[in-house]
Amino acid sequence: MAEWAKEGVEQILLIVLGSYAEIDLPDLVRFHSEGRRQVTNVFDEQGPLGISLLDRGCILANREQATPDEDLPSSRYEFLGYVVRLSSTANYRRLVEDAFEGRCRIQPTGFQTRPGVWIDETAYVDASAQIQTPCYIGPATKIRAGVAIRGCSSVERNCEIDLGTTLDHASVQPNTYIAPGLYVRESVVDGTRLEHLARGIAVDLGTAGLSARIGTQSRRVHRSPQLARVSELPAPDAKAG
Amino acid sequence: MTKIPPITVKRLPDPCDQASRRFFLRDVKRFVDSSHRPRLIVDLSAVEQISPESVDLLLECVGHAERGDGEVSVAGASPQTGVILELTQAASVLNMFPSVLEASNGRPFQDFESWKQSYARQRAA
Repeated sequence: MAEWAKEGVEQILLIVLGSYAEIDLPDLVRFHSEGRRQVTNVFDEQGPLGISLLDRGCILANREQATPDEDLPSSRYEFLGYVVRLSSTANYRRLVEDAFEGRCRIQPTGFQTRPGVWIDETAYVDASAQIQTPCYIGPATKIRAGVAIRGCSSVERNCEIDLGTTLDHASVQPNTYIAPGLYVRESVVDGTRLEHLARGIAVDLGTAGLSARIGTQSRRVHRSPQLARVSELPAPDAKAG
Repeated sequence: MTKIPPITVKRLPDPCDQASRRFFLRDVKRFVDSSHRPRLIVDLSAVEQISPESVDLLLECVGHAERGDGEVSVAGASPQTGVILELTQAASVLNMFPSVLEASNGRPFQDFESWKQSYARQRAA
């Protein structure tokens, strides 16, 4: 940051990743300017959000330090909008469900095959899969025959959900393979780790061969001829649940 | 007079030990074949996280028990095992209880070793 300040950057917005907050940045900048303090920290009712707006002067004065001096006089910007602290898997699921339900401004990427169902155009969804709205299926992901996806479930990029598995109020993180015939409920699966939110427990599925981390090299660029485009799938209404 | 269904409690064999697995299944089958509406309670209290092989074994027990109009319960499953049983959908065909005592619902157990001896005597007779 000191380099940027020396190069003439007047204000730096510092966001410590850890929460999703729909902050009105122009309003924050306006508030900061009116406050005439060198630092403005953003708070919500639970405390600081790890978001600060810093003036060039304070950065140059504190350039020996990795982070600005906490004792600097600062303004407090009270944020009353949508916030989710991503400190737990449960909060992550809450964010996903809020996005699906329109309670926040996140819009899933991908092609909306019907209202509430977002499927990336490079994803493969078998014609026999049952997809209930709302759901998200990310790039290069394969949904095999007989899979059922329901309850605000999301499957991120480069995943494979094998034959007949059901996802119910579940999120599957990128590059994850899930074995056939499983019933994944109220969980977040990341590679071999399953966190069961209803039971409050994490389980390693790798030793049991029930899930796996798959290659992280994106398959998006190399579209397999076997992968059907979403637009080539049968009418989704037939599968509406 | 209503005949009380026999109950027996067993622990799962080592999933890697094929011989123990065969013995276990043979015992279960004998128990089921010689009982009316048998109830098998599998004590999982010593299992930290159940293996897929053991889940398969439990499902084979369910298959045998159902042929004799019986049922299989599991008792004392750890939270991890509970998740695996739910995930593999084995939980949908098993009765799950926190402990063997609760699984037996106060009914007297049939000690498996005694039962095997009496079974052997019956067969000999």
